[in-house]
This record gives sequence, structure tokens and C-alpha cells, in this order.
Amino acid sequence: MSRDLVTIKGGKDGFRLLVDSSASMEEIEAEIKKKLDENPGFFPEGTKFELEVADLDRSVKKGINQILNQRGLGVELSVKKDPPPTIDEQSQMPPQYFIQHDGNVEAQEMTVVEHTVRGGEEVTSQGSVLVMGNVNPGAQIIAGGSIDVRGTCRGMVHAGAWGDISAVVIADRLMPTQIRIANMIARSPDIMEKSDFAERAYIKDGQIIIEPIER
Amino acid sequence: MSEVIVVTSGKGGVGKSTTTANLGVGLAMRGKKVVLIDTDTGLRNLDLLLGLENRIMYDLIDVVEGRVEIKKALVRHKKYENLQLLPTSQVKDKSAVNPADLMALCDELRKEYDFVIIDCPAGIEQGFQTAIAGADTAIVVTMPEVSAVRDADKIIGELGRSEKDNIKLIINRIRPAMVDSGEMMDMDDINDILAIKCIGQVPDDIKVVTSANRGEPVVGDSDSQAGKAYENIVGRLLGEDIPFMEFEKEGFFKKLMKAFKLSKD
Ligand SMILES: Nc1ncnc2c1ncn2[C@@H]1O[C@H](COP(=O)(O)OP(=O)(O)OP(=O)(O)O)[C@@H](O)[C@H]1O
Ligand SMILES: [Mg+2]
Repeated sequence: MSRDLVTIKGGKDGFRLLVDSSASMEEIEAEIKKKLDENPGFFPEGTKFELEVADLDRSVKKGINQILNQRGLGVELSVKKDPPPTIDEQSQMPPQYFIQHDGNVEAQEMTVVEHTVRGGEEVTSQGSVLVMGNVNPGAQIIAGGSIDVRGTCRGMVHAGAWGDISAVVIADRLMPTQIRIANMIARSPDIMEKSDFAERAYIKDGQIIIEPIER
Repeated sequence: MSEVIVVTSGKGGVGKSTTTANLGVGLAMRGKKVVLIDTDTGLRNLDLLLGLENRIMYDLIDVVEGRVEIKKALVRHKKYENLQLLPTSQVKDKSAVNPADLMALCDELRKEYDFVIIDCPAGIEQGFQTAIAGADTAIVVTMPEVSAVRDADKIIGELGRSEKDNIKLIINRIRPAMVDSGEMMDMDDINDILAIKCIGQVPDDIKVVTSANRGEPVVGDSDSQAGKAYENIVGRLLGEDIPFMEFEKEGFFKKLMKAFKLSKD
């Protein structure tokens, strides 16, 4: 049996769209339409797909985005991913992130972004997000869980975006334009000072509090 | 080993064409074989900066559409024989050339030239995608200005998504006195945000404009700080390790002289 050219996988992090890079645009288009039609109602308007491909042409990426846009769907971020792990590797590396609050340790799935998130880029995840780089002005991180930036955070970050008030934002240098946690918003001061230590933002007594932490 | 470099910026008017012209002349002065390609179709002006407008016979579109051979369309520089310009059309629009065309063209040119430098149009539309298609290296030009740095950041992201990972930065039109007084972003802030290798810091210099008007890029002019800065960039492109220069500030004395001159007139 030939392999599917297009695969849609659901996960805690939302939907992932896997596309065979050897397929032509026409084949991809037909497959995506077929897949979407098989399960209407499964993909409500506004659903974003994380596009997972080895090496797709830009024009193909654009084409996929267009097909999805026609149906009110979209591509959220195309990350260059390593090839999918083999079964063996999979069992050794569940991507988990432990958040501690009130003595409970909760495991959540985590999206790891291994580069600086630049202006105009957006990362959205149902779980937590770890950025191994900076979050630049004009970039956005939206996470169901917590956000950890191992670098300077100058963009907009929204942790606990679906209402989790225990979510936190941590950064080596926390100087975002806005921090949102659950339904609370903290705006940056108009004159931003460079912070020299890692900081954590969290909700306490109905307010977003920022405090230095040890890393 | 030849290198194809695209000069890009995101925001318009920050100095892409000026940079392209100066690096082209600078590399030619160092004996390299250089060809410059203007891809800002509809708005060409690289020929003006090089003083070659009246010598244009054919253009990029003629080459891409197969009407003439590349060799016939190249315009040789008046002073430096080893510098050629492939101008573009002022009447066609950017859709006349596509990424595959430019890639093929660059591959052809790299056989004969040490450096192919492509002047990119502003923006992130099709013209940008076309301009970057055949490049090994991208030079992002920005100015010490919040909006220009943001656009540079977006362009760097875009280059990354197009699998262009060799990206270098030039900060243009720096006014040291304003940086000192905190009215202009300083180099560390810009480098901290953009986080790519900086190969040039060029001061704002009236000589850039006056020399452009004469069709002679400032790079050979040792009286000009910008000219010196471009010379340094050329050296760095050739692999030399050159420290960034300290700018002469427009000090109290100079200002006084100016004020004096003004009041005398
Ligand atoms: N270092 C400098 N000092 C003073 N003037 C400069 C400097 N660099 C560029 N300029 C001036 O700024 C203007 C814009 O420069 P240039 O045309 O090179 O920008 P560009 O990025 O190519 O613009 P476009 O996006 O329209 O193609 C020109 O008038 C040029 O002379
Ligand atoms: Mg220009």
C-alpha cells in the first residue's frame, strides 16, 4: 500500500498536518480537501494546523495555506522538524514539562521552539511553550500552559490562554510589550528598563505579579 | 569560489542600493570580478548610482525572456573594467521575473564572476522572493530606528523560512551624537534584537548623497567616514578581520564653526 501523501494528526497540541514533500501541489490539494471533507465538523472555523514537512517548496506551503484559508482554517507555524522518531526513540522521549504549583506536579505536553521567534511570527500551543532563543518585538506566543523563554522576551506572551490561572511566564530577561495570563493583562511600562536577572510572572490575588527568580 | 549576495531590508529607503553600489565598486577596486543585478524592476536606480544610465541597451527582462544573451545586457563600469551591471527595466513590473529565472541567471554568472550582488526591492512580496532565490548570502541593511529594525527582524525570519541561513547585518545612517544622547538606538540594542553577524556600521554622511548624484559611489573617498566604513565592509567580505571604527563626533567645536558660518551668511 502506498503511503498517504497527506496525514492529519490530532494531539494535545492541536492538529498537525504532515505532507509528503514528493507530492505535487495538485495531489496535495486533492488529498487535503478529501481529508477535510471526510470529517466535517471536526475542524471548526479558525482551526490552525501545524505544518510538519521535511523540505517543502515555498510555493507549496503558500498553496496549502490558501486551501486551508478558503475554509476558514489556517497554518500556524511551519517548523522545520527532525524526521519523526522511530517507535524505539518515541518510548524514550515523551516531551513533558513539569509545572509545580501548590505542591502538585502536573505533566503537560510542551512545544519546544529552538530558535528566536522574530517579529511577525506566532507560536500557538495547547500545552506549554519553551523558547530556546529570544522572543522579539512583534512576535506572539500563545500557550494553554506556561511559557519559558531562555533569552530575552520583548514580544507579546499569553500564558494560560484558555483560562489556566496557574500558568506562569518565565524569561531570562522579561521585557515584553504585554504579558497576558488567563484573562489578565499587564502592559509594559512606557520606558522599559533592561532587567539583569531572570523573572517570573504569575497571578496572585487577582493581579499579575513579576518577581526575580534564580535560574 | 564565487559568492552570490543579496542586499535586502524590508523597510524601503534604508540604503540597499547605496550599499550594493558601494560594495560593488569597493570589491572591484580590490581586483575582484563583480556583477551587480538590479531586481527593483519598475524603480531601477542602481545605474544612476553608478553613473551608467546612458549606457544601458538591454535589461534583466530582456535576458530572462530570452531576447538577448546575458553578456550583451551587461553594462561595464567606466572606471573599473571588472565591474558590470545588469540593469532592470523601468517600464515592466516585478512579475516579469520569477525565482527560477534568477536562480538560473546567478548560476550562469557565478561561473565567471567572484561576486554577484543583487539589489533587492523593498517589502516581502514576490520581488523579494525572486531576488533572494539564487543567493548564498543575504546582507540585511537597517537603520538605527525602531521601525527599520522591526522590519529587518521580519526579513531575517522570512530568510530563515526560505532556507537562507547565512545572513549578515549592516547598520546604515548612524548618527553618533544622537546615539550618545539616547535619541537613536545604539548598536548593542540592535545587535541584541537581530542577533546576526554585523559586518558594517555606516555613519550618516552627506557625501553619500553628493557622490551618488555624481554617479560615483563614496567608497573610494578617504575623506568620507561612510567611504571608509564601506571599504571596511569590503575587507570583511574578503575575510579580513577589521575592527569597527570609532566615529568622529560632531563635537562642540565643529558645531560652533557651523553656527558661525550660518550667522555670517
Ligand atoms: N549613509 C548614508 N548617509 C546619508 N545618506 C544616505 C546614506 N545611505 C543612504 N543614504 C540616502 O538615503 C536614500 C535612500 O538610499 P537607497 O536608495 O540606497 O535606499 P534603498 O534601500 O535602496 O531604497 P528603496 O527601498 O527605495 O530601493 C538615498 O537618497 C541615499 O543617498
Ligand atoms: Mg533601492
